Amino acid sequence: MADIYTMGIDIGSSASKCLILKNGTEIAGSAVIAAGTGTSGPRRAQEEALAAAGISMKDIRRSTATGYGRNTVEGVDAVVSELSCHAIGIHAVFPDVRTLIDIGGQDAKVIRVSENGRLDSFVMNDKCAAGTGRFLDVMARVLELDVSELEEKSAKAKNVVNISSTCTVFAESEVISQLSNNVDICDLVAGIHRSVAVRTAGLVRRLGVVEPVAMSGGVALNGGVVSALEEELGLTIKVSPLAQLNGAYGAAVHAWGQLEKETL
Amino acid sequence: MKYIDELKNISENPRAAFEGAIASGKKVVGVMPYFCPEELVYAAGMLPFGLWGAAIQANDSKRYFPAFICSILHTTLEMGIKGQLDDLSAIMIPICCDSLKGMGANWEYGVGNKVPVINVAYAQNRKIEAGVGFTASQFRKIRKQLEEIAGNEITDDALAKAVTVYNENRDAILCFSKAAATHPKEISAQTRSAVLKAGYFMDRAKHTEMLREITEELSALPASDEGYLKIVTTGILADMLGFLELIDKNNMVIADDQIAQESVGARTQTPVTEDPILGMAQRLSDIEGCSVLYDLGKFRGKQLVSLAQEAGAAGILFVLTKFCDPEEYDYVPVKRMTDAAGIPMLQVEIDQQMKNFAQAESALQAFAEMLRER
Ligand code: SF4
Repeated sequence: MADIYTMGIDIGSSASKCLILKNGTEIAGSAVIAAGTGTSGPRRAQEEALAAAGISMKDIRRSTATGYGRNTVEGVDAVVSELSCHAIGIHAVFPDVRTLIDIGGQDAKVIRVSENGRLDSFVMNDKCAAGTGRFLDVMARVLELDVSELEEKSAKAKNVVNISSTCTVFAESEVISQLSNNVDICDLVAGIHRSVAVRTAGLVRRLGVVEPVAMSGGVALNGGVVSALEEELGLTIKVSPLAQLNGAYGAAVHAWGQLEKETL
Repeated sequence: MKYIDELKNISENPRAAFEGAIASGKKVVGVMPYFCPEELVYAAGMLPFGLWGAAIQANDSKRYFPAFICSILHTTLEMGIKGQLDDLSAIMIPICCDSLKGMGANWEYGVGNKVPVINVAYAQNRKIEAGVGFTASQFRKIRKQLEEIAGNEITDDALAKAVTVYNENRDAILCFSKAAATHPKEISAQTRSAVLKAGYFMDRAKHTEMLREITEELSALPASDEGYLKIVTTGILADMLGFLELIDKNNMVIADDQIAQESVGARTQTPVTEDPILGMAQRLSDIEGCSVLYDLGKFRGKQLVSLAQEAGAAGILFVLTKFCDPEEYDYVPVKRMTDAAGIPMLQVEIDQQMKNFAQAESALQAFAEMLRER
């Protein structure tokens, strides 16, 4: 029997992600483009994922769009909220996970996943950028670092600096004044991670902590935030190997599920 | 459907209704939320006109209120400062939340005495006899103030009639809401909101007549709610078009509400008493389900659970008005009670200035997906 491909497209505010699934289980190709909704990102992500899978659009039997820009993707078979897709995605990776923390470019969400992999409940952060990828971007810029360097720096911290402001704008000026006091950058980065962790932990507690807990989204790639959050919550967090692709993966699994329903 | 367009028009252009009343020679008294003794205004032969803020930008009001005060107060004060409410004969301002406590003084400073303020105080301990007595004493004081403004006496007879008009309107609101719950194809969430809101800007007797007619028409039609997701809303207001569009877009139907601007007040009639003022004060003591009225037994959550259960709702939307302290405080006990009852509840924060509903859209869509999967 010929292979069956489904596609999941997750258009976020600052990145576009696409993942192609072969026969409902195997990842045939994927792409993450650092350009979100309203840019060429969505198209490029699809093209790159197709190229990686070595197939063309006509080979895709079903597609599901999700994410902030989900309604702008043309030609998809279904449009599903990112919260549902994240639940589906993480359940496919870690079936035992009950709580998923996803921190993306502009928002943070905590999702309760039921035993059968359904979205059970959720909370989202308010419209503030604090505690999101954007917050880390702003702080990295102030420190003249690339976000990818933050983890390594925070690992070297000796005296973690307390960043008391939860607001991005105030935290930025707080970091600048610490810099002018010659505070060690590693200590500052660890303080920034802790501030994200404190804020995120508040969101997690709002929903209620049910273990096992996993993390996805771009910020999950930063081990410094993950360990700060583990410390703050007093538990171990599983990091999805798909990180930013978790939503797109969930969307591709959703598309596969639709196909199965249809052929049943 | 008869009257729908007319009511939508009134709710979308309250200014036209306001100017129309002034042009007809009627005195108009602004009525701020919550639960002001409007019957007194009505009985004095004036038009009570609801002031629930507006979808405008607040600038000048920021001289008097800090930015973290709800937009109902900011935008109402803004309209006052801009002179848009100069034709009001008075404004009634209840003192039932910390933010409203500053509204009267801010109005006096910002707007001046061209529109006099009538402060409306309710007893905090509204359930006890002394509380009812206190509220009644305040209503008597207000009666005198309104008589002066109207230039005529408010007779007991006129007041009793006004009480009947308002009681009938409350009943008509509940009947309409019930009929709308099974007819989402005819009455979308947007239409439902407009039909209810229009009542704040017009003669309540006329509103009742229109509501009855619409309800009758709906009752003659087969139910159109198949495939719709029943939800119950709770909060202060839920009239932002962008938000209501999301309810409609996700094929949700408002099966009942516990929204202060909609059914909360309608659920409690004024008992008919020999002294109508006492009946009105008693009603204040009887109202349940609102964060601004002292709720010792946290009855709001219990009421919400039973409303949802009676309506067969799949979930509840807690429509949180941005910067509203009483609502923020209520959220936690209410959420605990809905959780204990196994009814999913989603909190959506909105304000009247909101233009971008993207986050609310994701949340509502996810909530709908979640409820449909259950
Ligand atoms: S109760 Fe809330 S929404 Fe109403 S006036 Fe007070 S703060 Fe504003």
